[in-house]
Amino acid sequence: MNKPSLQAEEWVEKYSDLLYNYTLQRVSDKGLAEDIVQETFLSAWKSRETYKSDASEKTWLFAICKNKIIDHYRKKSSSPVQYAEVDTTDHFFDEAEHWTKEAQPNEWGINYQQPVETKEFYSILAYCKKKMQDMQRNVFVMKYMEDLSAEEICKVLNISSSNYWVIIHRAKLQLRKCLELNWINS
Amino acid sequence: MNLLNISCKKATYLVSKKEQGKIRLFDRLTLQIHLGICSLCKRFEQQSGFMIKNTKHTHTDEKLSEEVKERIKEVLDSSY
Repeated sequence: MNKPSLQAEEWVEKYSDLLYNYTLQRVSDKGLAEDIVQETFLSAWKSRETYKSDASEKTWLFAICKNKIIDHYRKKSSSPVQYAEVDTTDHFFDEAEHWTKEAQPNEWGINYQQPVETKEFYSILAYCKKKMQDMQRNVFVMKYMEDLSAEEICKVLNISSSNYWVIIHRAKLQLRKCLELNWINS
Repeated sequence: MNLLNISCKKATYLVSKKEQGKIRLFDRLTLQIHLGICSLCKRFEQQSGFMIKNTKHTHTDEKLSEEVKERIKEVLDSSY
Protein backbone atom coordinates (compact mmCIF):
# COMPACT_ATOMS: atom_id res chain seq x y z
CA MET A 1 0.00 0.00 0.00
CA ASN A 2 1.18 3.49 -0.80
CA LYS A 3 2.13 5.80 1.96
CA PRO A 4 -0.66 8.35 2.32
CA SER A 5 1.53 11.26 1.42
CA LEU A 6 2.59 9.49 -1.73
CA GLN A 7 -1.00 8.88 -2.74
CA ALA A 8 -1.89 12.51 -2.15
CA GLU A 9 1.04 13.58 -4.24
CA GLU A 10 0.08 11.22 -7.01
CA TRP A 11 -3.50 12.45 -7.05
CA VAL A 12 -2.52 16.08 -7.26
CA GLU A 13 0.01 15.48 -10.01
CA LYS A 14 -2.39 13.37 -12.01
CA TYR A 15 -5.66 15.26 -11.71
CA SER A 16 -5.16 18.82 -10.52
CA ASP A 17 -4.66 20.41 -13.95
CA LEU A 18 -7.64 18.52 -15.37
CA LEU A 19 -9.88 19.59 -12.51
CA TYR A 20 -8.58 23.13 -12.70
CA ASN A 21 -9.40 23.47 -16.40
CA TYR A 22 -12.82 21.96 -15.83
CA THR A 23 -13.54 24.41 -13.02
CA LEU A 24 -12.10 27.41 -14.78
CA GLN A 25 -14.62 26.97 -17.57
CA ARG A 26 -17.42 27.13 -15.04
CA VAL A 27 -16.53 29.91 -12.63
CA SER A 28 -15.36 33.43 -13.20
CA ASP A 29 -11.91 33.67 -11.66
CA LYS A 30 -8.74 31.75 -11.10
CA GLY A 31 -8.53 32.11 -7.33
CA LEU A 32 -11.99 30.71 -6.95
CA ALA A 33 -11.19 27.83 -9.31
CA GLU A 34 -8.09 27.03 -7.24
CA ASP A 35 -10.15 26.94 -4.05
CA ILE A 36 -12.73 24.66 -5.61
CA VAL A 37 -10.03 22.26 -6.79
CA GLN A 38 -8.54 22.19 -3.32
CA GLU A 39 -11.93 21.54 -1.72
CA THR A 40 -12.54 18.77 -4.23
CA PHE A 41 -9.33 17.00 -3.30
CA LEU A 42 -9.99 17.47 0.38
CA SER A 43 -13.49 16.00 0.21
CA ALA A 44 -12.26 13.13 -1.90
CA TRP A 45 -9.37 12.55 0.45
CA LYS A 46 -11.60 12.41 3.49
CA SER A 47 -13.99 9.97 1.89
CA ARG A 48 -11.45 7.85 0.06
CA GLU A 49 -12.24 4.88 2.30
CA THR A 50 -15.84 4.85 1.15
CA TYR A 51 -15.00 5.24 -2.50
CA LYS A 52 -16.14 2.21 -4.44
CA SER A 53 -14.08 1.24 -7.40
CA ASP A 54 -17.01 0.64 -9.74
CA ALA A 55 -16.49 4.15 -11.05
CA SER A 56 -13.05 5.26 -12.10
CA GLU A 57 -11.09 7.46 -9.77
CA LYS A 58 -11.23 10.23 -12.35
CA THR A 59 -15.01 10.06 -12.78
CA TRP A 60 -15.41 10.10 -9.01
CA LEU A 61 -13.22 13.18 -8.60
CA PHE A 62 -15.04 15.04 -11.37
CA ALA A 63 -18.41 14.23 -9.80
CA ILE A 64 -17.20 15.72 -6.53
CA CYS A 65 -15.85 18.75 -8.35
CA LYS A 66 -19.13 19.29 -10.18
CA ASN A 67 -20.99 19.26 -6.87
CA LYS A 68 -18.55 21.76 -5.40
CA ILE A 69 -19.18 24.11 -8.31
CA ILE A 70 -22.95 23.82 -7.96
CA ASP A 71 -22.57 24.37 -4.21
CA HIS A 72 -20.71 27.55 -4.99
CA TYR A 73 -23.56 28.78 -7.22
CA ARG A 74 -26.05 27.89 -4.50
CA LYS A 75 -24.14 29.69 -1.78
CA LYS A 76 -23.74 32.73 -3.92
CA SER A 77 -27.44 33.02 -4.69
CA SER A 78 -28.49 32.54 -1.08
CA SER A 79 -26.06 35.06 0.35
CA PRO A 80 -27.63 38.19 1.85
CA VAL A 81 -26.05 40.30 -0.85
CA GLN A 82 -28.01 39.00 -3.78
CA TYR A 83 -26.32 39.46 -7.06
CA ALA A 84 -28.74 41.42 -9.12
CA GLU A 85 -29.02 40.70 -12.76
CA VAL A 86 -28.98 43.81 -14.89
CA ASP A 87 -30.44 43.75 -18.35
CA THR A 88 -27.50 44.44 -20.60
CA THR A 89 -29.44 43.39 -23.68
CA ASP A 90 -32.04 46.12 -23.47
CA HIS A 91 -30.58 47.97 -26.43
CA PHE A 92 -30.63 44.83 -28.58
CA PHE A 93 -34.24 45.56 -29.50
CA ASP A 94 -36.05 48.76 -30.38
CA GLU A 95 -39.36 49.99 -29.05
CA ALA A 96 -41.29 47.65 -31.28
CA GLU A 97 -39.04 44.84 -29.97
CA HIS A 98 -37.37 44.32 -33.31
CA TRP A 99 -33.62 43.90 -33.65
CA THR A 100 -31.62 47.09 -33.61
CA LYS A 101 -29.04 47.45 -36.33
CA GLU A 102 -26.07 47.13 -33.97
CA ALA A 103 -27.34 43.98 -32.32
CA GLN A 104 -28.91 42.05 -35.16
CA PRO A 105 -27.36 38.67 -35.99
CA ASN A 106 -25.09 38.83 -38.97
CA GLU A 107 -24.25 35.91 -41.18
CA TRP A 108 -21.26 34.04 -39.73
CA GLY A 109 -20.30 32.31 -42.92
CA ILE A 110 -19.70 28.98 -41.23
CA ASN A 111 -21.41 25.63 -41.27
CA TYR A 112 -23.48 25.77 -38.09
CA GLN A 113 -23.72 21.99 -37.98
CA GLN A 114 -20.01 21.45 -37.96
CA PRO A 115 -18.25 21.47 -34.58
CA VAL A 116 -15.48 23.99 -34.10
CA GLU A 117 -12.51 22.67 -32.20
CA THR A 118 -9.90 25.34 -32.61
CA LYS A 119 -7.88 26.85 -29.80
CA GLU A 120 -8.86 30.30 -30.99
CA PHE A 121 -12.56 29.53 -30.62
CA TYR A 122 -12.12 28.08 -27.14
CA SER A 123 -10.17 31.05 -25.90
CA ILE A 124 -12.70 33.54 -27.29
CA LEU A 125 -15.50 31.49 -25.80
CA ALA A 126 -13.75 31.59 -22.42
CA TYR A 127 -13.36 35.36 -22.77
CA CYS A 128 -17.03 35.81 -23.62
CA LYS A 129 -18.19 33.64 -20.74
CA LYS A 130 -16.03 35.66 -18.41
CA LYS A 131 -17.69 38.82 -19.64
CA MET A 132 -21.16 37.52 -18.86
CA GLN A 133 -22.82 38.55 -15.64
CA ASP A 134 -22.47 36.01 -12.84
CA MET A 135 -26.10 35.00 -12.88
CA GLN A 136 -26.18 34.60 -16.65
CA ARG A 137 -22.99 32.57 -16.67
CA ASN A 138 -24.12 30.33 -13.83
CA VAL A 139 -27.42 29.55 -15.48
CA PHE A 140 -25.74 29.06 -18.83
CA VAL A 141 -23.11 26.70 -17.43
CA MET A 142 -25.58 24.63 -15.45
CA LYS A 143 -27.87 24.26 -18.42
CA TYR A 144 -25.55 23.86 -21.36
CA MET A 145 -22.43 22.40 -19.78
CA GLU A 146 -23.84 20.39 -16.90
CA ASP A 147 -27.17 19.44 -18.44
CA LEU A 148 -29.17 20.24 -15.34
CA SER A 149 -32.93 20.58 -15.78
CA ALA A 150 -34.59 23.98 -15.59
CA GLU A 151 -36.28 22.89 -12.35
CA GLU A 152 -32.99 21.91 -10.72
CA ILE A 153 -31.37 25.18 -11.74
CA CYS A 154 -34.24 27.23 -10.32
CA LYS A 155 -33.92 25.33 -7.06
CA VAL A 156 -30.16 25.79 -6.79
CA LEU A 157 -30.32 29.49 -7.59
CA ASN A 158 -33.58 30.11 -5.84
CA ILE A 159 -35.17 31.81 -8.84
CA SER A 160 -38.58 31.51 -10.47
CA SER A 161 -39.15 29.71 -13.71
CA SER A 162 -39.94 32.93 -15.58
CA ASN A 163 -36.77 34.44 -14.20
CA TYR A 164 -34.86 31.45 -15.51
CA TRP A 165 -36.13 31.91 -19.06
CA VAL A 166 -35.36 35.61 -19.04
CA ILE A 167 -31.80 34.92 -17.90
CA ILE A 168 -31.26 32.17 -20.49
CA HIS A 169 -32.52 34.55 -23.16
CA ARG A 170 -30.17 37.36 -22.13
CA ALA A 171 -27.22 35.03 -21.70
CA LYS A 172 -27.64 33.76 -25.26
CA LEU A 173 -28.08 37.24 -26.75
CA GLN A 174 -24.98 38.38 -24.92
CA LEU A 175 -22.83 35.40 -25.84
CA ARG A 176 -23.93 35.46 -29.45
CA LYS A 177 -23.02 39.10 -29.80
CA CYS A 178 -19.66 38.62 -28.12
CA LEU A 179 -18.74 35.67 -30.34
CA GLU A 180 -19.72 37.61 -33.43
CA LEU A 181 -17.63 40.60 -32.43
CA ASN A 182 -14.53 38.76 -31.31
CA TRP A 183 -14.48 35.54 -33.25
CA ILE A 184 -16.28 36.15 -36.55
CA ASN A 185 -15.34 39.76 -37.10
CA SER A 186 -11.77 39.47 -35.91
CA MET B 1 -53.85 43.14 -33.02
CA ASN B 2 -52.83 39.95 -34.62
CA LEU B 3 -52.31 37.29 -31.97
CA LEU B 4 -50.11 35.26 -34.24
CA ASN B 5 -47.73 38.13 -34.75
CA ILE B 6 -44.85 38.17 -32.27
CA SER B 7 -41.84 40.44 -31.91
CA CYS B 8 -38.20 39.49 -32.45
CA LYS B 9 -37.58 39.81 -28.72
CA LYS B 10 -40.34 37.37 -27.97
CA ALA B 11 -39.30 35.04 -30.80
CA THR B 12 -35.70 34.78 -29.61
CA TYR B 13 -36.97 34.19 -26.08
CA LEU B 14 -39.12 31.34 -27.35
CA VAL B 15 -36.21 29.80 -29.26
CA SER B 16 -34.65 28.65 -25.96
CA LYS B 17 -37.96 27.25 -24.76
CA LYS B 18 -38.27 25.29 -27.97
CA GLU B 19 -34.70 23.99 -27.69
CA GLN B 20 -35.41 22.72 -24.21
CA GLY B 21 -38.74 21.19 -25.18
CA LYS B 22 -40.66 23.51 -22.88
CA ILE B 23 -42.69 25.47 -25.42
CA ARG B 24 -46.48 25.54 -25.42
CA LEU B 25 -48.28 24.50 -28.56
CA PHE B 26 -49.57 27.98 -29.27
CA ASP B 27 -46.14 29.55 -28.79
CA ARG B 28 -44.60 26.95 -31.03
CA LEU B 29 -47.02 27.96 -33.76
CA THR B 30 -46.37 31.68 -33.45
CA LEU B 31 -42.62 31.07 -33.35
CA GLN B 32 -42.80 28.97 -36.48
CA ILE B 33 -44.68 31.70 -38.28
CA HIS B 34 -42.19 34.33 -37.16
CA LEU B 35 -39.15 32.28 -38.14
CA GLY B 36 -40.73 31.73 -41.54
CA ILE B 37 -40.72 35.44 -42.29
CA CYS B 38 -37.85 36.83 -40.20
CA SER B 39 -34.41 35.90 -41.48
CA LEU B 40 -32.65 37.56 -38.53
CA CYS B 41 -34.44 35.44 -35.96
CA LYS B 42 -33.99 32.37 -38.11
CA ARG B 43 -30.28 33.10 -38.07
CA PHE B 44 -30.38 33.60 -34.31
CA GLU B 45 -31.93 30.17 -33.96
CA GLN B 46 -29.14 28.59 -36.00
CA GLN B 47 -26.44 30.40 -34.07
CA SER B 48 -28.08 29.50 -30.78
CA GLY B 49 -27.99 25.84 -31.75
CA PHE B 50 -24.37 26.23 -32.73
CA MET B 51 -23.48 27.80 -29.37
CA ILE B 52 -25.18 25.05 -27.41
CA LYS B 53 -23.37 22.34 -29.31
CA ASN B 54 -19.98 23.97 -29.08
CA THR B 55 -19.92 25.15 -25.49
CA LYS B 56 -20.31 21.69 -24.08
CA HIS B 57 -16.90 20.29 -24.80
CA THR B 58 -14.61 23.22 -24.48
CA HIS B 59 -10.97 22.65 -24.00
CA THR B 60 -8.43 24.89 -22.33
CA ASP B 61 -4.88 24.20 -21.43
CA GLU B 62 -4.28 26.07 -18.21
CA LYS B 63 -1.90 24.83 -15.58
CA LEU B 64 -2.39 25.06 -11.87
CA SER B 65 0.65 26.75 -10.39
CA GLU B 66 3.19 24.60 -8.55
CA GLU B 67 2.60 26.74 -5.51
CA VAL B 68 -1.07 25.81 -5.35
CA LYS B 69 -0.29 22.16 -6.02
CA GLU B 70 2.10 22.10 -3.09
CA ARG B 71 -0.45 23.82 -0.90
CA ILE B 72 -3.07 21.20 -1.75
CA LYS B 73 -0.64 18.35 -1.04
CA GLU B 74 0.11 19.86 2.34
CA VAL B 75 -3.57 20.24 3.15
CA LEU B 76 -4.19 16.61 2.26
CA ASP B 77 -1.22 15.41 4.25
CA SER B 78 -2.19 17.35 7.31
CA SER B 79 -5.76 16.08 7.22
CA TYR B 80 -4.60 12.48 7.23
